[in-house]
Amino acid sequence: MSSAEATADAHGGNQGKAREHFRNITRDVSWVAESPKPHPLWLAALAVGVTAFSIGIWCIYVVVTRGIGVWGNSQMVCWAWDITNFVWWIGIGHAGTLISAVLYLTRQQWRVTINRSAEAMTIFAVMCAGLFPLLHTGRPWFAWWMIPLPNDMGSIWPQFRSPLMWDVFAVSTYFTTSLLFWYMGMVPDLATFRDRWAMRGNKVRAIVYGVLCLGWRGSARQWHRYERVYLILAGLATPLVFSVHSVVSFDFATSQLPGWHTTIFPPYFVAGAIYSGFAMVMTLILPLRYLFNLKHIITQAHVHAMCKVMMACGMMVTLAYGHEFFVAWYSGNEFEQFTFLSRVFGPFWWIWWGFLFLGNVVTPHFFWSNWVKNNNYVIWCLCILVNLGMWGERFVIIAVSLSRSFLPSAWSYYHPTRYDIGVFVGTIGMFLTLFLLFFRFAPVIAISEVKGASEEAHAGKGGH
Amino acid sequence: MSDPTETSEKPATPATPAAPATPAAHDAHDDHDTPPPGDGDGNGNGNGQDGALYGILAQYDTPGELLEAARKVKDAGYSEFDCYSPFPVHGIDPAMGIKRTILPLVIFCGGFVGATGGLLLQWYCNAYQWGWNISGKPTWSIPANIPIAYECGILIAVLTSFFGVWAFNKLPQVWHPLFRSDRFARVTDDGFFIGIEAADKRFDAEKTKALLEGAGAIAIENVHFDPDPANKQMPKWIMGIIIASTAFALVPFAIAAKARNTKSSEPHWNIFPDMDYQPKAKSDQADDLFPDGRENRGEIANTVPRGWLEADETFYHGLEHADAGDSWTTGFPKQYPDSSAVPPDLRGQPFAIDMRLLKRGQNRFNIYCTPCHGYDAHGQGMVPTRVRSEGGNWDARNLVDPSGPVVQMPNGQLFNTISNGYAKMMGYAAQIPPWDRWAIVAYVRTLERAQNASHDDVPAADQGSIK
Amino acid sequence: MSLTKNLHPDEKYKAGKLGTQMTLVGLGLIAGMGILSLILGAVHKGPGGEDDHFKRFLYAYVTSWAWIASLSIGMLWLVLLHHLTRSRWSTVVRRIAESMTGAFPIIWLAGLGFVLPVLFGYKDLYYWAAPDAAKDPAIAHKLGWLSPGMFTMRYVIYGAIYIGISTYFSKKSREQDESGDPKISISLRRASGPGMILFSITTCALAFDVLMSLAPKWYSTIYGVMFWGSGEIAAFAALGLIVLWLQRNGRLVHSINEEHYHDIGKWMFSFTFFWAYTAFSQFMLQWYGNMPDETVWYKYRMFGDWQWVSIAILVGYWAFPFVFLMSRWTKRIVPSLVFFAVWQLVFHWLDMYWDTMPQYDWTMVGNHNAGPLAGPIALHHVGFTAVDITVWLALIGFFLVGTGRGLKGNLIPVKDPTLGMSLAHEQL
Repeated sequence: MSSAEATADAHGGNQGKAREHFRNITRDVSWVAESPKPHPLWLAALAVGVTAFSIGIWCIYVVVTRGIGVWGNSQMVCWAWDITNFVWWIGIGHAGTLISAVLYLTRQQWRVTINRSAEAMTIFAVMCAGLFPLLHTGRPWFAWWMIPLPNDMGSIWPQFRSPLMWDVFAVSTYFTTSLLFWYMGMVPDLATFRDRWAMRGNKVRAIVYGVLCLGWRGSARQWHRYERVYLILAGLATPLVFSVHSVVSFDFATSQLPGWHTTIFPPYFVAGAIYSGFAMVMTLILPLRYLFNLKHIITQAHVHAMCKVMMACGMMVTLAYGHEFFVAWYSGNEFEQFTFLSRVFGPFWWIWWGFLFLGNVVTPHFFWSNWVKNNNYVIWCLCILVNLGMWGERFVIIAVSLSRSFLPSAWSYYHPTRYDIGVFVGTIGMFLTLFLLFFRFAPVIAISEVKGASEEAHAGKGGH
Repeated sequence: MSDPTETSEKPATPATPAAPATPAAHDAHDDHDTPPPGDGDGNGNGNGQDGALYGILAQYDTPGELLEAARKVKDAGYSEFDCYSPFPVHGIDPAMGIKRTILPLVIFCGGFVGATGGLLLQWYCNAYQWGWNISGKPTWSIPANIPIAYECGILIAVLTSFFGVWAFNKLPQVWHPLFRSDRFARVTDDGFFIGIEAADKRFDAEKTKALLEGAGAIAIENVHFDPDPANKQMPKWIMGIIIASTAFALVPFAIAAKARNTKSSEPHWNIFPDMDYQPKAKSDQADDLFPDGRENRGEIANTVPRGWLEADETFYHGLEHADAGDSWTTGFPKQYPDSSAVPPDLRGQPFAIDMRLLKRGQNRFNIYCTPCHGYDAHGQGMVPTRVRSEGGNWDARNLVDPSGPVVQMPNGQLFNTISNGYAKMMGYAAQIPPWDRWAIVAYVRTLERAQNASHDDVPAADQGSIK
Repeated sequence: MSLTKNLHPDEKYKAGKLGTQMTLVGLGLIAGMGILSLILGAVHKGPGGEDDHFKRFLYAYVTSWAWIASLSIGMLWLVLLHHLTRSRWSTVVRRIAESMTGAFPIIWLAGLGFVLPVLFGYKDLYYWAAPDAAKDPAIAHKLGWLSPGMFTMRYVIYGAIYIGISTYFSKKSREQDESGDPKISISLRRASGPGMILFSITTCALAFDVLMSLAPKWYSTIYGVMFWGSGEIAAFAALGLIVLWLQRNGRLVHSINEEHYHDIGKWMFSFTFFWAYTAFSQFMLQWYGNMPDETVWYKYRMFGDWQWVSIAILVGYWAFPFVFLMSRWTKRIVPSLVFFAVWQLVFHWLDMYWDTMPQYDWTMVGNHNAGPLAGPIALHHVGFTAVDITVWLALIGFFLVGTGRGLKGNLIPVKDPTLGMSLAHEQL
């Protein structure tokens, strides 16, 4: 605080102190993108990401050219890793919208330090998610058939009563909204970047950021509309985020397959989505806040808050499991009962116990402990367990139910092939690569929101 | 400049020894504060002072002081002024007298239009323009159309919000006189400014400046328009890029439009030939591996595949040997063959027309035959009914019409028709094993008898009751 | 403009005689309407003119009991959420919410009105208690769970949990009024997590037992969540009305302003949306799945007389309030907020009515004793009767007695550390 005191002395009183504070925020956040040399660990992570992404590109090439027969999907287990991954990735995206929209509406100030990166995560996760249904069609170049375009094959329209079409609309609306919300939130910070690069005389970057920030001037009249619209976008994104995973859950719940057809699915999928999404946010944020010296902005208190949200969502998911098991018995439907028993004791028991039970039922309870919430290494490991657990849950719902449907003669066991694994690894690589690049080229923390949420933004207010 | 980590609650220990030095060490330009405040004569430093006067820009120290100053400027009666800050200052709207924007209403309308449009789209596509019948379900069923209408509503509301906020804010506007001030670059960092435009009718260079100074400005400067008209416009090269990229974006649409309106005799593109030409043998394909050039290998002479012997001509084909050659049998087979084609307890047994056979025949008939022929075999099952409901006119064969061909048909021919089909009817040999086909024949004969019964057929005891 | 404010020096925050007034009104309602309901219930005839044996009375009782219970359950959730998330806006209304949760003992006492008959052999309310139910294999296998004894036992457990949680939270909160100890806030925050877990399980189970088992063959996993969401709308509406009533009587006039009403309105709006979301999920999935054991529940609600009630709920409980509560001004202008609060309370009752009453006529329709939701649709009528309303008013009486008991002493947590921020609360 030495230089702040010096400034204060020069001007008398507290003058300049608030500005010093704001300047520090700007500098510390911008530093992430401005530091001339990236951290070696960042480079190492990028290398890992690009490698995994390359594997994925190769596997996607094979899947597209040779057909999805190279996957382990079969006649009965027609949805397997691809749809599991789709649901998992979409779910991960939900945390970003939750942080940026729901927590904004409920005035949770701690969101400001993580919302930008969580929103970025949303966008990248939705991109990864969208890949899977696209590939699953087998002929992705005909994906435009899902758009209701007038065409010259008579009048062939999409079947709007199909939940899979609902998915198309829900996911594309979700992607558009997340992208616009993210971009809109970033505009004032892109203006900060513009001014910082202009001051240093880097014209190219100044022009690029200048165009991207649309010539933002921070005028109060602009802020006024900006804030209203930001609030409204948050208000729109909240029901949207509910609807997206609900629509994904409709893919399953509208069918009559035991274990799929249950009315709790929509809220249960949303809770699970937020749960896995927060785990992914933490998986990324915990190391990166070390690497880029952001620990004083993303403080341990913020980590605590995220742990608590995870805990709450984990227990909601547990409650939904309880509902499912109870009603399977209560309904008296023996197919339903068999499905749930086969999940727990059937051939995939190890996924149920090892992933789902451990990750989603047991893990949340570790966060009761303050010691855990202060120990970032433990949190990180628990978050990995949660990520695995939620992936396992989707696998159990999809592949395990399909491999044990009504006809015992159709029962089968599901084995993934190397292309199943490769495409999944590839999306993780793509996600990691995009996220790491985002850290170097965009304002990773909502600078203006952090400033607005700080004490100094309110201190020194005059009379009324 | 202090290390930023010192201000945090916890000391920041780098995660690894290889962590870079703290940002401050590399961040030269932050080491000095904003340019020193002006001396009050309005000649700020380092800015173009050459064009027409745009207005006066005053910097304040804290958001609170900005708020105070804004209130004073508003009270002094100015209207063409604005505050500039790195974040929205709480309470500045009433201080400046900003009216609430009508954008929420616009967005609500957008959402309403989107949801209604989504509903109409589905109605038009699936119910009106091309009614798509799936298992007789209604083509227009609101519950299944809600999710998409909902998503469309949100999508249009979001697009309205996003484009609305920039349109109402008159952005993008990449060039602005304020950007000519070096000091103004602080507005995205730590600067709080008030700018009063020279266009305001109360503007007076001296008085306005005095007002801003009196409100506690730490720096004041005049801002001028750029004198060079060329600099007021967008540079030509940026315009060029915009035009070029717009034109480029139209190329796919142009190709699609061309493809829709022209004909081509070229074979279509095989983007991934593997999908079209798969490495597998199909029975009707040519192949140069075998001398006859066919992929289909056919049966080997003088052999019978296992289970295909079918020695009993009557049972399997409805034929009987007569002196004049094969002809359709008019009776039924004599005996069940000892084959897996019949139920275990009937194998090798004499063929009996009993209640079991008729019940079986009724059961199979109701499953396989009634969709077209109807339960009463008059040829008016669900399929003809549906054809008529769509304006067509087709009946299946009436199997019990006394003047129709079926009644006169020998049993063997009826069996053959079930097996191999006739006219529009396909063969059912694949679905119905021979024993069941004979059961159906017996049941059809029963139906014929029942449908064409005379009064005398009723048992004598009951004749009185139904007269 | 500042972040915190002190309690206004002239603020009247003592309840004085208001709680007693409310209790007296409640007792009056119980006495008057209770006796009237018993008479009306005794003379009520079934649709075929046959003797009804208080069946209509008991169905109306379950309906309205679910209605009053959901008000207290809803506010208990608000209290728990307040501590769990360290909410700021709700500190000023928390004591009133706590008073509403103070009604739990009275409500559970009132609930004995339908639980005791079931325990002592009344067969016509819950079909699973009827002798014919055991013949139905779909019900027979769960008769161990849905038996009068088990049902009563669970009822007692639910009551104990609700009363335990609510008493703990209000007692500690009042202790803080005396001591001003900030540690109490911390201990309540610690307790709110486990409290919320117990609360969620109990609420879902309560809805399964009291409401869903009226149609014992039908099942829906989201049912408990839907009951809770619907109840929250009414709970926030009731909170707004009670706050307004207190202010009309000169209490808390400086502390609670349109900023807080705005938040109450926001919660009403959110839950109107949330309830619609859960109700649509349940309906759409069962309609789309089209499995007879599920669609039977909707079959009798979508066709015949009941379709008009369904449409009324869709329009009145969701569409109309949803569109108008979206606006900022509807929530900030007190008369309009009051209008929607009363409106939603009435429609919440209609929603409960729609949940319970279609099951009512199972002993009367053509196929006697086939259980609820059977027989020709045309025979099922809505059949509003006076007893439905008088029982409702009598049970409102129980709720007022219970809430009035809690409205004593300070109406605002005067020494809560977050009170200052709550008083200064402003919307964006």
